[in-house]
Amino acid sequence: MPWLRTVAAYAAVFALALTINFALPRIAPGDPLSFLLPEDVLAEMTPEDEARVLAEFGLDRPIPVQFADYAAGIVTGDLGVSVTYGAPVWDVVIGRLPWTLLLMGWALALSTILGTALGVMAARRRGEMGDIGATVLVLAVGSAPVFWVAMLLITLFAANLGWLPSYGAVPLMAREGSAEWILGVAQRTILPVTALTIAQTAGVWLTARASMAVALSRDYVTFARAKGVPERGVFWRHALRNAILPIYTNATIGLGGLLGGALVVETVFSWPGIGQLVVQGVEARDYNLLQGVFLVATLAVIAANLLADLTYPLLDPRVRR
Amino acid sequence: MTDLALPAAPPPRLSRLRPVQRTGAVLLAGLMTLVVLGPMVLPYSATETVCPGFARPSAAHPLGCNDVGQDLLAGNLVGGRISLAVGLLTATVATAVATALAIAAAWRGGFWDVVAMRMVDAVMALPFLPLVIVLSAFFGASFWVQIAILCLVLWTQPVRELRSQAQSLRAADYVDAARAMGGSGWHVCTRHILPELAPLIVPQFVRIAHAAILTESALSFLGLGDPLAKSWGTILFHANARTAFLTDAWLWWVLPPGLLIAASVVALALIGHGIGDRYADGTVAAAPRTGASAPRRTEALLEAADLTVSYGGQPALHGVSLAVPRGATIGLIGESGSGKSTAAMGILRLLPPAATIRSGSAWLDDLDLMGLPPETLRALRGRRIALVPQAAMAALNPVRPVGAQIAEAAWVHGLRDAETRARALMAEVDLPADRYAAYPHELSGGQRQRVAIAVALAAEPEVLIADEPTTGLDVLVQKAILDLLAQLSAARGLTVLIVTHDLPMIARRAQRLAILKDGRLVENGAPEALADRPNHPHTEALFASILRLDAPKAWTRAAAPMTPVLEAQALSVTYGTSLAARLRGRQPAEALRNVSLSVRAGEVVGLVGASGSGKTTLSRAALGLAPITGGAVRVDGGPPQPGGPAAMIFQDPYQSLRPAMAVAEAVCEPLAINGMSKDTRTTPVRAALARMRLPSDDGFLLRRVGSLSGGQRQRVAIARALVAEPRLLLADEPTSMLDQSLRMDLLATLETVRAAHGLGILFVTHDLALARHFCDRIAVMQDGQIVEEGEAEALCAAPQHPYTRALLSAAEA
Repeated sequence: MPWLRTVAAYAAVFALALTINFALPRIAPGDPLSFLLPEDVLAEMTPEDEARVLAEFGLDRPIPVQFADYAAGIVTGDLGVSVTYGAPVWDVVIGRLPWTLLLMGWALALSTILGTALGVMAARRRGEMGDIGATVLVLAVGSAPVFWVAMLLITLFAANLGWLPSYGAVPLMAREGSAEWILGVAQRTILPVTALTIAQTAGVWLTARASMAVALSRDYVTFARAKGVPERGVFWRHALRNAILPIYTNATIGLGGLLGGALVVETVFSWPGIGQLVVQGVEARDYNLLQGVFLVATLAVIAANLLADLTYPLLDPRVRR
Repeated sequence: MTDLALPAAPPPRLSRLRPVQRTGAVLLAGLMTLVVLGPMVLPYSATETVCPGFARPSAAHPLGCNDVGQDLLAGNLVGGRISLAVGLLTATVATAVATALAIAAAWRGGFWDVVAMRMVDAVMALPFLPLVIVLSAFFGASFWVQIAILCLVLWTQPVRELRSQAQSLRAADYVDAARAMGGSGWHVCTRHILPELAPLIVPQFVRIAHAAILTESALSFLGLGDPLAKSWGTILFHANARTAFLTDAWLWWVLPPGLLIAASVVALALIGHGIGDRYADGTVAAAPRTGASAPRRTEALLEAADLTVSYGGQPALHGVSLAVPRGATIGLIGESGSGKSTAAMGILRLLPPAATIRSGSAWLDDLDLMGLPPETLRALRGRRIALVPQAAMAALNPVRPVGAQIAEAAWVHGLRDAETRARALMAEVDLPADRYAAYPHELSGGQRQRVAIAVALAAEPEVLIADEPTTGLDVLVQKAILDLLAQLSAARGLTVLIVTHDLPMIARRAQRLAILKDGRLVENGAPEALADRPNHPHTEALFASILRLDAPKAWTRAAAPMTPVLEAQALSVTYGTSLAARLRGRQPAEALRNVSLSVRAGEVVGLVGASGSGKTTLSRAALGLAPITGGAVRVDGGPPQPGGPAAMIFQDPYQSLRPAMAVAEAVCEPLAINGMSKDTRTTPVRAALARMRLPSDDGFLLRRVGSLSGGQRQRVAIARALVAEPRLLLADEPTSMLDQSLRMDLLATLETVRAAHGLGILFVTHDLALARHFCDRIAVMQDGQIVEEGEAEALCAAPQHPYTRALLSAAEA
């Protein structure tokens, strides 16, 4: 039962994330309490207070018991309380998740389409000057830090040309759900998605170009030509049909990276997604919040990978059953 | 490095960097010089306040100043030290850890490999940046902590790729050879696997450095960097906090650090990725002829006239002319590198991009294929002149059903009822009807070749070009495929050009033979005429190397003494019983069942069978490298053990010797493993080379194995087997990868060595005719069991088992 093995593998990933989260406050240098309470509260506490709080959080019990409690809490959706928001971390993070997913979804779709189309075209002309020039250009663009690209986009399109808004995700004056509101969100989505797409396309482009070049060099392409298949058919039915497989796999592997990019880009645009939580969490040393973000991000990536694993056999008959 | 007391070897040639990689290296070196030397030249440091906050660029401060009046040029230069140091240090540590783990996992295999790879998978599935953020938040962000965190997260990235490479290296014949000599795991990993892995480690290093620099900048940008240390990321963090990108300051505050990051990363990317990869592979749709055409000289349906082809300036075919009359079957014969496949594929204009058709013509009736516009040529391919490819597994599209691939060959030429045709053809090539929707990987090798034939016939062509149509198939399957091809072409009146290296097979089937050597046609005539009156010495050598079943035995030896050097008694070997194999859901596989066989000193025993019959497993058992689950095997009276009195000669000298090794290093490996001192090694090495009739001067000892020809390599491999003075040689098809004309010579040398030292030889082969001539006794093996055993001539004269009979009829046909 291969699917069972897949599920088990992802359960192991989740368990690893849990263990990291559990271990961090206990092995990091410093008092475990300093990771639980804000500094000003901590400063006013007496040793008796501290012992009481430790007992309250169960930190005086044996480590395995603590871990079992922790894991049970996580499974029931209890990620602790965010000191910044004074609310359960789970609620805070889940509330922001759709905004981050909005950016990621668009960027994933656009970069995959764009990268595949351009990369495949480059593969057909591989070795020619145009291809080499394009590869160097793509490597250069893909090497730029995504937040820096975002800053330059704001400079150009918001500050200088004034075409697009650069702040937040929603127009302040519009009623939520109204046409004006939707248009405002759409306008504000353009620049962050563009920055993410630019950063993400390079990777897709390289994968698409390499896998298409490999497919075009295969014997089945030669044999298709020997059958008299027109070049268009060779391209679509034989070369691209096979080149799609690594592109598909890589797009899902790249999801983790895309998420990281989204977090960083959000801070440039003050986008109300998870990235903003990260910055606030870092500033306020809100450890629960950061750990919650990490855990939810892990879940999101696992879900995406699981989906990809389960759908891949539809594309590749060799791994069916 | 050589293991002999010899004059110093010339230093190994550094692999030349490609221009793109050189650009990257120069760029990176430039950046490093800039950030190391730059701050020493500037009159002020990056942390002192030297001008008013937000000062615009001026002569004294070319990049202006930040919000607290620190010079931005100094900041960028000093920041570069941090950014580049984080990247390069992280890459060094993480790559070292990954390489060690990858090699260890690949070498150990089994349970620990599974555990290690599951762990790597799990770490890699964690969302990268959120994990780094959490770690940085807890552990703080000093320079060294940052490197530690990045290493902790990035070490997994190269493990997968390096481990899968190390695993394929571990399966390489030269690793097997080293283990057979008794080499320890440490010896094999450091002397064979690591040197071969090295070129792959460099791009991994670069990839990690690339990721580390970008991550460091992202962390600093998020405010998780060391607030006191300047890096390119922290400069951008402050610029962002002051929304510098909304003012003119973007030009001097935002642009430079980003450009520097991008330049560093792109330099690494250029070094690591390189460009222009694999572009010599594959084919172009229709490479046009560059030079003059040649007139048609015969009435033949297919005629190559003065065809000249070169590969990147190196000529591969010199004016080859060849006629295939309508309805005839012509064999085009040549050894590896003779240009036979270039000729066949050249006629179809399906050559790799590096090839150029210089001049000449290929006439199909009155059409010159070399001069046709691509679309006209395309319409002829498959429809009038079709290809039966070699290695159908690679030639069939792996993700489309085979039936659809047959039908496609019909409908692209506008033929109606393509599916009906395809189904009819499948019946004609003896494929079950329910295989129509099967994918290539679900078929056996023989079935795939049948599909390829059906594809070739789908559009009812007049001419078939079969390019080594039976490569890689079992003897019995080869015969069936060739019979099918002959029967179909007779029924349809096809004109056939068969390209092959197998002279005995084609001599029985073709009306005429054309023999290519070094790109030139050296012979053209009827098989009997060529056998009787060869015009070229090469033809003579080829025919002389054919061992006929009905000819007098080529090697007869006096009866061997009764001292056995190999005794297998009721030996059973079962693979896949380990815990790890069970975890992976594999079924145990019995490779040998109840096998009893002995080889006496000075005796040559042939072990004949199809691939997968267990022939090689018996050799491995004699080396102590197979899991014995029943019975016993003794070598020269003792238990089998690597480095013992048995030595193995592998089938393919291109695999069994690592090309980067010097001849001396390769031949003395068994001695080095045995711990013989360096000064005393030279004499036996030279003696072993001389016994194999190879040069033994210093120049030859220092040559790289990769620069030798196939025949020389096999002699070096045998010299390596002989150097430790074995009592038993396990020869695993030692001549099957060599060109026909070299075989007799090699066997003669082997015979001399055997006679001189009284060696026992277990001669593993699939070629019954060869075994009959070279061996004293023959054991026939099928499915892990010996089904028949006897004196070589007697066994071939009166075979008892049906499988032996089938093998004999395949050898005769």
